[in-house]
Amino acid sequence: MSRRSLILALSACVGVFFLLSLLTGPANYGPVDSLRALVAGGDEAAAIILREIRLPRALLGLMVGFSLGASGAALQGFLRNPLAEPGIIGVSASASLGAVTVFYSGLAGASILALPAGALVGAVASVLLLLAIAARHGSTLTLILSGVALTSLAGALTSLALNLSPNPFASYEIIFWLLGSLKDRSMVHVVIALPLMAAGAMLLFASSRALDALTLGEESAASLGIDLRRARLFVVGGVALMVGAATAVAGAIGFVGLVMPHLIRPLTDRMPGSLILPAGLGGAALLLAADVAVRVAIPARELNVGVLTALIGAPFFLWLVARTRREAF
Amino acid sequence: MEKRPAAKEQGRGLSRPPLSCRTSLRCGGMAPLIASCLILSLTGAAPAAPPARVMSLNVCTDQLAMLLAAPGQLVSVSELASDPGLSYHSALAASYPHNRGLAEEVLVAKPDIVVTGAYSLHNTTPLLRRLGYRIEEFQYSQTLDTIPGEIRRMGTILGAGSRAEGMAATFESDLSRIESERCGADPAAIAYDQNGIAMGAGSLVDSAMQAAGLRNIAAELGYVGMAPFPLELLVEKRPDIVVLPEPLADTPALADLIASHPAIRALGQGTLRIHLPRGSASCGGPFVIEAVKALADARRRIVSCQATGGHAP
Repeated sequence: MSRRSLILALSACVGVFFLLSLLTGPANYGPVDSLRALVAGGDEAAAIILREIRLPRALLGLMVGFSLGASGAALQGFLRNPLAEPGIIGVSASASLGAVTVFYSGLAGASILALPAGALVGAVASVLLLLAIAARHGSTLTLILSGVALTSLAGALTSLALNLSPNPFASYEIIFWLLGSLKDRSMVHVVIALPLMAAGAMLLFASSRALDALTLGEESAASLGIDLRRARLFVVGGVALMVGAATAVAGAIGFVGLVMPHLIRPLTDRMPGSLILPAGLGGAALLLAADVAVRVAIPARELNVGVLTALIGAPFFLWLVARTRREAF
Repeated sequence: MEKRPAAKEQGRGLSRPPLSCRTSLRCGGMAPLIASCLILSLTGAAPAAPPARVMSLNVCTDQLAMLLAAPGQLVSVSELASDPGLSYHSALAASYPHNRGLAEEVLVAKPDIVVTGAYSLHNTTPLLRRLGYRIEEFQYSQTLDTIPGEIRRMGTILGAGSRAEGMAATFESDLSRIESERCGADPAAIAYDQNGIAMGAGSLVDSAMQAAGLRNIAAELGYVGMAPFPLELLVEKRPDIVVLPEPLADTPALADLIASHPAIRALGQGTLRIHLPRGSASCGGPFVIEAVKALADARRRIVSCQATGGHAP
């Protein structure tokens, strides 16, 4: 499949699930009425529901899924590690911890801007820590185990911070920060996440040539004229911006960045640089589909979307681990 | 309006038999206590010697006790009593020592009577009973009808029967005045709390809405108690009044953000957004009338009485 037709096919998938997401919800409007209300606007109930509740939800599904898929592809390429993924190596969990620490302490008032600010700090810190570990020990498993430890630690500290909050609702929000959800978000969330994600995507795309060269090893890449320090900075910044923004608005949604690059890699030329865009589109389609499914499955008590992505992703992860070990030994 | 006459009679008739009598055999073999239990059960409101030391372990009993106890009679109240989000009389609680509802604290304070809620501290209460303490449990109020009875019962326990009678009578007359002032068609309303939880049928707020003359759309749609209610459904039904929560604490939580969701703001001028006085609907007590008054005020802003004229009670 040519790269062009792959991207077209994935974009069509994203479009279909985006539309389905817009048409799914407890208020029953037909597809035609819904779309007319979305376009026409006004202050009718249907227009408010479509514009203020469903559109932000669908946009966030697309943006968060894209960020996680693209970050997963970039991390797998940069670390040359098939198991790398923002959720598994602790970037999402650390972003959650950062967001929770800044927001629930009330330092920034009740401002929603505290969320991305804290999440970015957490994400940057975790990526830097992981790079330091990866630089010292080249082994695939060392990095993954360190990431698992980091995820547990950040999760525990997130729970602790929420339990210590005097607000009685804070402790119920542990599940949001550890599993993620797109329920009842608003355009405010879209607006605060979009610029950060766009900047992150730009950095990742800019590093795609370096990622391709790195498949030959660091020395060869350097001899090809790749500035490794600059490449590292771009990947760290790009992943932190995208995952930080995604986590700030949707909590830590796992496994999207793991599954999609692996599913899509066989359809590409297997160069990490050219995988970023298709993996992002695949991630967007997967998260939109999962978010439709959680709304349809148990309408009365909506599941957190991270539960569903984990149900899909965790068995996939186990299978990957088994396969990686077989190849390694 | 005439939906629940039977329940009303029951609630206003007399207080329930004191719970202490259920446990009279376990009253530690203390003859005077058993005797007072018997007298209470026979007369319903015997003016036995008021207990010198009373301890309250629950935010709802805290408030009734603070309103009715004689100076020095109430040894301590629960920590939540001074939480303004849950306790209407949080200011009163400042002058009392606080407890955390632990059995050990009761053993140290040695009160004559412990008052607490039936659903809280379900481990502490049996333990204290086994140790011979007299425990008075109060059910969680879910309708306005039971409130005068609860006030009178607390009065009986504390030996403040006449003060309680006055308070209960004021509550009843305020309530029937509000009920008699309703006119026109009942507007639709919803109480939409943190995290998108609606107050459905059988909740205290639902009962307050009925008294104020509002149709609770959550109850009409079959939601019972505190239940997650989709934001989309709220926009679709477009109630005339949305009762929104105020943050329970100074520190933020995502749960509070629902009240400022743009979809609720987009409902525009046609929908009245109000708050109930803080803590006025989280417990049964005389202060619940403030919640009913706030709802009735909101109703008056939507349905004017001049046009139709009030109907006779």
